[in-house]
Amino acid sequence: MLGWMGQILDVNLSTGAIEAHPLDLEMARQFVGGRGLGARLLWDLVDPRLDPLSPDNVLVFATGPLTATAFPTSNRFTVSTKSPLTGTILDANAGGFWGMRFKRAGYDALIVRGRAPRPMYLEITRTGPALKPADHLWGKTVFEATAALGQGRARNVLCIGPAGERLVRIAAIMNDASRSLARGGPGAVMGSKQLKAIVVEGDQHLEFADREYFKFVVYESSKHLKASPLTSQALPRFGTAALVNILNLFGALPARNFQLSQFADAEQISGEALTDQFLVKNTACWACPIACIRQTRTARREGEGPEYESIWALGAACGVSDLETIVEANYLCNELGLDTISTGATIACAMELVQRGTIPDGPRFGQAEALPDTIRSIARREGLGDELAEGSRRFAERHGVPECSMSVKGLELPAYDPRGMQGQGLLYATSNRGGCHLRGNMLGPELLGLPKRINRFQVQGKASIVSLHQNSAAAIDSLVLCKFCNLAVAEEFFARVLTATTGIHCSTGELLQIGERVWNLERLFNLRAGFTRADDTLPPRLLQEPVADGPSKGWVVHLEEMLEEYYRGRGWDRDGVPTPEKLHELGLSKRR
Amino acid sequence: MNLDPEIFRQFQEIGRDLYEASLISSHGGNLSLRLGDKLAIKRRGAMLGRLQLDDIVITGLDKPDSGVVLASTELVVHRAIYRRTPALAVVHAHPRTAIALSLSREEIVPIDNEASYFLHKVPVVAAEFASGSGELEEKVPAALAQYKIIMLRGHGAFSIGQTLDEAFQWVSILEEASQIIAAAKVIGEPLVEYRKMSDAYKRW
Ligand code: SF4
Repeated sequence: MLGWMGQILDVNLSTGAIEAHPLDLEMARQFVGGRGLGARLLWDLVDPRLDPLSPDNVLVFATGPLTATAFPTSNRFTVSTKSPLTGTILDANAGGFWGMRFKRAGYDALIVRGRAPRPMYLEITRTGPALKPADHLWGKTVFEATAALGQGRARNVLCIGPAGERLVRIAAIMNDASRSLARGGPGAVMGSKQLKAIVVEGDQHLEFADREYFKFVVYESSKHLKASPLTSQALPRFGTAALVNILNLFGALPARNFQLSQFADAEQISGEALTDQFLVKNTACWACPIACIRQTRTARREGEGPEYESIWALGAACGVSDLETIVEANYLCNELGLDTISTGATIACAMELVQRGTIPDGPRFGQAEALPDTIRSIARREGLGDELAEGSRRFAERHGVPECSMSVKGLELPAYDPRGMQGQGLLYATSNRGGCHLRGNMLGPELLGLPKRINRFQVQGKASIVSLHQNSAAAIDSLVLCKFCNLAVAEEFFARVLTATTGIHCSTGELLQIGERVWNLERLFNLRAGFTRADDTLPPRLLQEPVADGPSKGWVVHLEEMLEEYYRGRGWDRDGVPTPEKLHELGLSKRR
Repeated sequence: MNLDPEIFRQFQEIGRDLYEASLISSHGGNLSLRLGDKLAIKRRGAMLGRLQLDDIVITGLDKPDSGVVLASTELVVHRAIYRRTPALAVVHAHPRTAIALSLSREEIVPIDNEASYFLHKVPVVAAEFASGSGELEEKVPAALAQYKIIMLRGHGAFSIGQTLDEAFQWVSILEEASQIIAAAKVIGEPLVEYRKMSDAYKRW
């Protein structure tokens, strides 16, 4: 079984039982690893209707056959669970070192079930896995817990912060201190299980089916990474924040809770400004030649980030242009274990409620000084923070203005205004984990011209492109690689490197079909959880309020037209339910 | 269902480019684009170099409808490609030097830098065209699931992409690569290898 380690570790926190099961090779062929394997395991383990914070929910951490192979960006791993924020199936992935180390400890996946009677952490070392008391770590920040557990060259720590412990629905799981499994609240699920951390040590050797061919595909892929200005210059030099000015230029940088599509102070929070004022150096996840991570320093602190989405959420979305505050707010989110996008976007929602007079008191647009305390209050569930800890949808509903939550299926939208990117709108609306830009890459074709430029306002034909990119993203998340690699390296390289690693032939078409299979299985999970066509929608603002000014002036998202084409093209019926023929084609007939 | 003017413009431009680059004869070649569960394809008999709006037919991907009356003879192959590969656009052209090479080779392995970088290797598929045997609908999509461009021996190239211009790019690169192979053969001097691991291109 080359490429995979062949074992799944299964930990029951309620009973303390720890077992290892063999990985089912047929399942691995069909779902590969990472997100796909996670979705497939959840299908068997979790009733889609259960309360995500109940002990019956499970967490599945998974690597893929490419993890730890040294293929560019092969550092990633995923966590899958039922989301406490959205109620959908959820997967989130992160880079760093932990995933590589976990795989080298000898496992493809880790299932965590039940609820520990007291705070615990799981330690996996050469002598095997063991559960240990974590009372002394409970309440500690991510940075404190990571250091206390001995993060080092051959030992990597994944943990939750105070936000996860307090079941904040926008809590992240953090690994290697500042890498984040952020979206959808997986930190709250880990907190509900009273599992503070997972520490891994591992140095097992990986075998390849065809090492020479593997080397060739790595070499060819590296050429593409070097040749692309995006992966060889923009990302290393400016990080993802290079996008701030670009999105603003196109009139697709949402500001003030999406009330505007451009931010007047974009320059002040741009990648250029970040590089000039705060960058110490760029660093990288394991085996990544791109090195997009920002190591930064302010007058008071030093840390990692922020990413483009974090700058946007804590900046433009809140009308905040003080970059130093944004940089430190990002450190704070990492330290407390919060998803920066949902945190910033939920604060922006509160700001709009203050602006409208719906709530008497709270943070106001542009009020940079309000950010740190609001963020702390969310992580600690204090005062207004306790309401915001539920995420923007529950918060806005509670105050009778659900339309002020800029979310899809309850997940706060990221930093791209879809009125200026029609395909992005469809991508958001149909995303299986809610409003997310990582379920497919429409930024590439609609704005960056990757692989080829398509008209961003075009509606006809967009559904097919969105579906293809969703399938591709699901496949990449199952391998598991970083999406930034795919900005320069096409899927045909991934199929070939998978073949070289596992010895099981996989064509580009087959790889994308694996992605389609994963996408459909996730859809089935959500349908069982009670989601319907009505949930494949966008906040009313994006459907009804045309952009007032700038390059996207006059546009709303033409969702219905695209959605019709999308369902038909996916082989789903009018209600968005996969047809029996489609499920048969994907080998999912048994899962109807 | 009406065709978006933006999409028509793409058909027109790529059609014109194919003709002007001598990658098709006056009435040869074809273009199609996937639109959900439908596809837009050139009308039978229309000239790619001079496309008008009513030269593009929209028809079902699976089920036959009245569109087939007008659609090109190659509709079945295009449909099969969309059903069995990730293609969103298909270009079928007659690149002359590549066709000549396809007559004597099982695959075209470029020797120039650009084609090595983008294509690595282009397989040659042998199947009788329009034989009604289903051979073409079977073999062409199977090859395109693995390669983004393939040669049909003695006939032409089928290439796929996310957009028409992406699929066009592969044809254009292949023909250039083929001309370079032919020119190098005419020059007849021993080639000096400049690419690392070049033996592995054959394995792509
Ligand atoms: S591109 Fe950035 S996030 Fe992706 S693996 Fe490399 S350093 Fe990590």
